[in-house]
Amino acid sequence: MRLSRSEKWFYVINNTLLFIAGMSCLIPLLNLAAISLSEYEAVAAGRVGIWPVGFSLESYKMLIDGTPIMRTFRNSLVITGFGVLFSMLFTVLAAYPLSKGYFYARRFFTLGIVFTMLFGIQAIPAFLVNRALGIVDTYWALWLPGLVSAYNMLVLKSFFEQIPEEMNEAAQIDGSSEWRLLWQIVLPLSLPVLATLTLFYGVGYWNSFQSVLINIHDSSKFNLAVLVQNMVANQSLLQSLNNVQPQEADQMLTPESIRSAGIMVMLVPLLVVYPFLQKYFVKGVLIGAVKG
Amino acid sequence: MKTKERAIEGGGMSLAGPQANAAAVAGALRARSRSRFRRNVPLLMMFAPVIVFFIVFRYVPMLGNIIAFKHYNLMQGIWGSPWAGLDYYRMMFSNPQSIAIIRNTFILSLLKIVIGFPFPILIAVMLNEVRKAWFKRSVQTLLYLPHFFSWVIVGGIAVMLFGSQAGAVNAVIRYFGGEPVNFLYQTGSWLAIFFGSGIWKEAGFSAIIYLAAISSIDPSLYEAASIDGASKFKQIGYVTLPGIMPVMTLMLIISMGNVMEVGFDQVYNLQNAVVSDVSSVISTYIYTVGIQGGLYSMTTAMGLFEAVIGLVLVVGANRLAKLFDQALW
Repeated sequence: MRLSRSEKWFYVINNTLLFIAGMSCLIPLLNLAAISLSEYEAVAAGRVGIWPVGFSLESYKMLIDGTPIMRTFRNSLVITGFGVLFSMLFTVLAAYPLSKGYFYARRFFTLGIVFTMLFGIQAIPAFLVNRALGIVDTYWALWLPGLVSAYNMLVLKSFFEQIPEEMNEAAQIDGSSEWRLLWQIVLPLSLPVLATLTLFYGVGYWNSFQSVLINIHDSSKFNLAVLVQNMVANQSLLQSLNNVQPQEADQMLTPESIRSAGIMVMLVPLLVVYPFLQKYFVKGVLIGAVKG
Repeated sequence: MKTKERAIEGGGMSLAGPQANAAAVAGALRARSRSRFRRNVPLLMMFAPVIVFFIVFRYVPMLGNIIAFKHYNLMQGIWGSPWAGLDYYRMMFSNPQSIAIIRNTFILSLLKIVIGFPFPILIAVMLNEVRKAWFKRSVQTLLYLPHFFSWVIVGGIAVMLFGSQAGAVNAVIRYFGGEPVNFLYQTGSWLAIFFGSGIWKEAGFSAIIYLAAISSIDPSLYEAASIDGASKFKQIGYVTLPGIMPVMTLMLIISMGNVMEVGFDQVYNLQNAVVSDVSSVISTYIYTVGIQGGLYSMTTAMGLFEAVIGLVLVVGANRLAKLFDQALW
């Protein structure tokens, strides 16, 4: 197809603007990585762009030696791993019955769940429930109240409903139980949505911040989000780190480089899984968007 | 079991007399309701834990809101604490500080919606006009990414970029001979960073739904417009935008329903003492004064007020959506 002059200009401007928008998402990350890997003088002088100036791993060494980042990283993994496992299991167990036309009171239960989306849960009554159950200061306070996201459940339910009923009937005539039907037919057919929800739950647990602030008071159980937030907001924490370390020129660090190293530790796992799950989530988002 | 039921039904059909037939139909119905019950047993077993979850962690906290009307204290618990009536609401509406916090919540979230609304549409329309698939895919990948960052990360990036000492933005300003600015410590620039970071984080991801809507527009409309000599801008104005109008209405209505939700994480990670005049919102107040300060009843009253306004807005928004045939339920 031949393009007119005005169309050519349109495409050039359009693509340029989109390129700039895309770069606005990429450059801060490169800058962060570069600062975390650069030498003291370059960072202090603000000379670091998107490429490390004088490669140095000091800030990561400081992070590992001077802060509980390893333990916190492990905590984040535990919170995320088990959280996703529990959430996926119970989201499936919620969505499957509700997707069946012959399930008793399915309308009643669905409305009951949708209502909880409309009327948000308050931090303080929720905290009082956690305290009454004795789960404050354990990770159960993160896992149990977030067990089933009503939104994710509705996404999965509407996907299950799209699976042709004939498939279920055929399996039932062959004598398959509901459990086997779910496990051997419905779930394998739902892998794209399951992958999407795993991503959403995983990101949610990895990033969980407010729930940790409220429910976890024992600092040895903090996750990365809380530790990194402390490092960003709390100047004195970083200064105390600097006092511990020997003040030799090649081992000096700016608060910026420690901060950016901390953020990188939280960011890298996300960046690693993102490309693998990316192809699924567009589909998942759209199923959810069509109708709840 | 299944084959036996079918045998009964089949037998019923083959009988000649009407009475026998009616009995067979009743039997078949009984068999069906029995079979329905049998099929429901495993489903109920699956669903039972889910019911427990929703009661304990969704409905009980809803009832727990009652402490907004009680002088809650630890010793007497929720039910034993003395009633306070509307005391906390009277305190709330007579206290200039809490009125300022409610106002901040309302203004920040309303502006967030108004300012943020056009960007996903703009991105979707622009992405739709990209003809090279690899370029479109790469830009999409980058634009979706910030959605998955926590506000701790985005806040950290904002502090790094706009922080006064070694921030990248100030480095650029210094390079051009200007004076460094404390962007995060001035109300105006703080607000810009607040809204800008929200757009940066979510606009790309929100564009997904508009992209899907655009892809369902009949391509022949574009061909016809192009043959009639419509420029790219005219095609966007007369084909693309009208084509996604229903989705735009729906998204606007949904977001109006969330007007009271500024979100805790964003404010908490971007705020500082200097801008607290504009940055204190109900959710951060509940955390600092309620959870940390132990003023449970007072802050629950405020949160309940927020939740009720939110509910009214959601229900109202849905009513509005019904007028456009876009209701959510």
